[in-house]
Amino acid sequence: MWEEYLFANSVEHALELLARYEGRAQLIAGGTDLVLQSQRGQCPATVMVDITRIPGLNRIEERDGFILIGAQVTHAQIAASPLIRDKAPILAMACSQVGGPQTRNAGTLVGNVVNAQPAADGATALFVLDAELEVATQEGRRWEPISHVYRGVGVCTINACREMVTAVRFKPLVNACGCSYQRLARRKALTLPTLVVAVVLEMTGDTIKAARIAIGPVAPTPYRATDAEAHLVGKKAEESVFAEAGQLAAAKAKPRDSLIRGSSEYRTAMVGVLVRRALAEAAQECHRRG
Amino acid sequence: MQTLEMNVNGSDVRLEIHPDETLAEVLRDRLGLIGTKIACGEGECGACTVLIDGVAVTSCITPAMKAHGRRVTTIEGLSRDTELHVIQQAFVDSTASQCGYCTPGFIMATKALLDANPNPTREDIMHGISGNLCRCTGYYQIVDAVALAAKRLAEEGRK
Amino acid sequence: MSDAIGTPQARLDIAAKVKGTRKYPQDFNMEGQLWAAVVWAAHPHAIVRRIDTSAAEAVPGVVRIITSKDVPVNSYGIGIPDQPVLVGEGEKVRWVGDRIAIVVAQDLRTAHRARDLVRVDYEPLPVLTDVFTAMKDGAPLVHENRPNNILHHIPIRKGNVEEGFAQADVIVEGEVATPFVEHAYMQPEAGIGYIDEEGRVTVIAAAQWPHDDLHQIARMLNLPEDQVREIVPAVGGAFGGREDMYIQHLLALCAFVMRRPIKMVWDREESITHTGKRHPFYFAYKVGAKRDGTLTAVKIRLISDAGAYASTSIPVLNNAASFAAGPYKYPHAHVDAYTVFTNNAVTMAMRGFGATQPPVMYERMMDQLAEALQMDPVEFRLKNLLGDGDITITGNAMWGGVGIKETLRQAAIAAGWRQQGDRWIKPDLGQPSAPHKKRGIGIACAYKNVGYSFGFDDKSEAEVILRLRDDGSIASATVKTAAVDVGQGVTTALAQIAAEALGVPVSRVRVALIDTADTPNAGSSSASRHTYITGNAVYGACKAALEKRERILLEETGEMTVSAKYLYRGRSRRPTTAYDPVTGQCNPHISYSYGTEIALVEVDLETGETEVLKMWAAHDAGKVVNPAMYFGQVAGGVHMGVGYGLTEEFIMENGVPRTRRFSEYFIPTVLDMPRELVSLAVEVEDPTGPFGAKGLGETPTLPTAAAIANAIHDATGVWLKRIPATSEMVWRALHGKG
Ligand code: FES
Ligand code: FES
Repeated sequence: MWEEYLFANSVEHALELLARYEGRAQLIAGGTDLVLQSQRGQCPATVMVDITRIPGLNRIEERDGFILIGAQVTHAQIAASPLIRDKAPILAMACSQVGGPQTRNAGTLVGNVVNAQPAADGATALFVLDAELEVATQEGRRWEPISHVYRGVGVCTINACREMVTAVRFKPLVNACGCSYQRLARRKALTLPTLVVAVVLEMTGDTIKAARIAIGPVAPTPYRATDAEAHLVGKKAEESVFAEAGQLAAAKAKPRDSLIRGSSEYRTAMVGVLVRRALAEAAQECHRRG
Repeated sequence: MQTLEMNVNGSDVRLEIHPDETLAEVLRDRLGLIGTKIACGEGECGACTVLIDGVAVTSCITPAMKAHGRRVTTIEGLSRDTELHVIQQAFVDSTASQCGYCTPGFIMATKALLDANPNPTREDIMHGISGNLCRCTGYYQIVDAVALAAKRLAEEGRK
Repeated sequence: MSDAIGTPQARLDIAAKVKGTRKYPQDFNMEGQLWAAVVWAAHPHAIVRRIDTSAAEAVPGVVRIITSKDVPVNSYGIGIPDQPVLVGEGEKVRWVGDRIAIVVAQDLRTAHRARDLVRVDYEPLPVLTDVFTAMKDGAPLVHENRPNNILHHIPIRKGNVEEGFAQADVIVEGEVATPFVEHAYMQPEAGIGYIDEEGRVTVIAAAQWPHDDLHQIARMLNLPEDQVREIVPAVGGAFGGREDMYIQHLLALCAFVMRRPIKMVWDREESITHTGKRHPFYFAYKVGAKRDGTLTAVKIRLISDAGAYASTSIPVLNNAASFAAGPYKYPHAHVDAYTVFTNNAVTMAMRGFGATQPPVMYERMMDQLAEALQMDPVEFRLKNLLGDGDITITGNAMWGGVGIKETLRQAAIAAGWRQQGDRWIKPDLGQPSAPHKKRGIGIACAYKNVGYSFGFDDKSEAEVILRLRDDGSIASATVKTAAVDVGQGVTTALAQIAAEALGVPVSRVRVALIDTADTPNAGSSSASRHTYITGNAVYGACKAALEKRERILLEETGEMTVSAKYLYRGRSRRPTTAYDPVTGQCNPHISYSYGTEIALVEVDLETGETEVLKMWAAHDAGKVVNPAMYFGQVAGGVHMGVGYGLTEEFIMENGVPRTRRFSEYFIPTVLDMPRELVSLAVEVEDPTGPFGAKGLGETPTLPTAAAIANAIHDATGVWLKRIPATSEMVWRALHGKG
């Protein structure tokens, strides 16, 4: 049961409200997850501090060599953003797959990350982009890599009763990069994924210069398939290499058996398939752009 | 209790509500706007779709306070008296409603879709209504209705 | 003639629906109403030792907690009243949908909070979760008053099946299991119970058979039926799921106990986890055919999971057994059909009523035989499909215009098959969209009864009231009959039939709202029966009213209104009989509808994902009353079939539901549907139907999953052991992983 619903008018105000209620208050953005968690008794906070009216947090912009996305920006806005589609298409693809149009209109990327659900499309894309989150506290602000923030299912190192994530940033992808976002789900809309694979590939000619592979939700958090990434560097872009990378990536997957989303065996095998496909598609795009 | 002030279908309203009431609850239980339907209560079916400042949201998981100071449009806000909105008429003419429980949600999703994209392809339409579930129609006549509405709105615009 | 039949009349209620003004059960409120919430069983099988309501009663705003002691006759159930209304101390819960108590409070939030405080001590019992264990000797009993868990067994013996197999040149065998399926109507259970002006216990709720509810409620409350009333407003879908009572009797009980209006609204989770499902079936088949493609024999074993209570499991089994062999001619047949109690969800009517499950099995057998004989699947089926006068496995001659062959011909031609004499040639399927994908095409034929079967007296009553002008012409007509429009459009169809019968435009016909105090018993909105049975009743009432008008005009009585009632009985023209207990021979059904569907699919060989690219659906529902509504029924049926084939499964683990919400139970979205659905209306008229109409509500769901499964086989060469064909299921089959 919520006792109060408050609107913060600045980041400082939001932090002050959090401090004032000493753990009973929580930030709310789109609320698409939070309302349900609260109704199901999974969120103890009784005071909601709404951050969606704070000026300045609704921006998607390129600044100082980074792309910055404010805490109010919704999945729908990212999916439609010309800047993101141009400089980080992988994120646009991921955000366009979340839920349905209505939930994409309300739910924010940052909220999605803070909630730390493993089946998060946007977060997986942020892993592949090596994104950082800006964390504001009453003491000041700091940037934290996304991989530090995600700690387990629903566990996030951000202290939601004291701290606020105000933005996410990452380096724009260089022009020669190819991307691919692969998603397996029980149906084509309105569903969490069984598996997602986000790949960014950089090539010189036929040779792979750098590869980034992020995978979710087949472990408590999305993860980077670092072995597979390392294996690819300097290799020729071809099916057999992609298949090897797929095998390496699958070796790191630890999915649980899910009655609804499939067995561990199946999902592990699919990591191999989707990573291979993603690499092939990304390589093709590199060639097209090349 | 907290004060909620919003504009619903053109009229300003001021209400005292529990802070955790959802927008769907306030519309239905406090304002008697029963055209907004609740089918899943978790943002997974679109039956409760309304527009806040023109943006389609699922009101069952939207805290009512989010509408504070905003313009809310519900299905009741589309038709004027007896005259149906073009989209509603297209749903009638396409037999796009059977049990009808999903219908207001589809119509509101359509309104948002056509406002943003007046000239949608069939594929655009399908993506635009992919946040709405229907158990009766198989969707084909709904897609037809949206296409028909788009066509008629375009004709109206040209006049 | 008014051209009311066969023309695209707008649905009567659609303007109110698009405006959002049409009221569904949750949209009603009454002065002074209280709210109620159900305390559900926390175990699928246990003895209730103690119920402690003190903490709940202490919650401010709680008015009363209703328990089994408050129920005059504590049992109910459609047909067999074997379900406790509320389970008391010392009694047993048999599934998680059983109820312990009802909390009545000032508002819903309080009722919800208080129900969590009702303490119930259970003594858990072993949970029966599968039919095979439940059938074993010595298995724990779900119902102690029965010798074992087998609720019913049906044998069908026609000819000599061993002889039949001896004549066969090829014999194929197979097994398939089908899942529990949730109706997933979009409107969850809700309603109001109150005492009306005349002191009647009154319920406003969604229902499929108001008069049977009335009968069950009166029995439960130990009241005469005229002291009970049910009003059915707009219903947000039903699909069989509202044929049993889930909320109606609880609302009645609340009103009876509290003597004031009580409202209940269930959320989606309550709706999914505490209501009945489509029966899962297990099938094992053996089928033989001669080299020329003639079927010789079929041997069938089928078992359905009845869940915790009987509900309509026996009638569903009756149907399943009679349709188990499909619409084919078999000289020899041997069927053993069982339905078995478990502690799973109660299983009940759902679109197709036992005719929906078998096609996945029997249509696979047809393809296996065609493949073994190297015959085209269309050609093979056409050789064996039933025609007028052909004899079924229950020994009856088919009647009423058997359109199945024509549906197959038309669907096949539309899908690109070419006919050369008796030979049929499969179309080229085009290139798959990626090298790791393969295309396949699959056919399925199915048929289904229209109306209640096996000697059940199917009847429907209608009243027609004509308001006359001075010149005797009809100013307006009102049709009264309690045929519930659950979304299928029966109200509009009946208005069209009345208009046609009266020779007036549809706009002059009004159909009264459903209220058992005002509208006569029409039977249920099920068995695809209203167009045929109630259509005949309305037609009869119209004709009777016209005759009366003639008399009035002749006698110049000056009366300005005419009213007439008509009771139509299915058996007046089509008597049916029950199964012979030994041979199963009988004349089961009043009338039939028929359908063929063809699915073009693309299967991802690496992930197992299946996409249905296009479907063709040819259905024979007799004369089509309303083409737009016809398409709507076909498309909606295909939607449910696509879900059945690919995505939908209600999963329980040890009797506890695991698919509790729409985020876990996947009905197809618009993007999951085939991009194109070609619908062909094959109108083989039944002379006993109104203007030749049969029924359409269910057949379109029957062949879909089977067509998809056959298409997956065509693409990949694998047969699945069960549906839905989830990507994992297909992947496992492709990789030999069981
Ligand atoms: S009722 Fe709100 S999305 Fe289903
Ligand atoms: S018309 Fe019934 S759910 Fe859409």
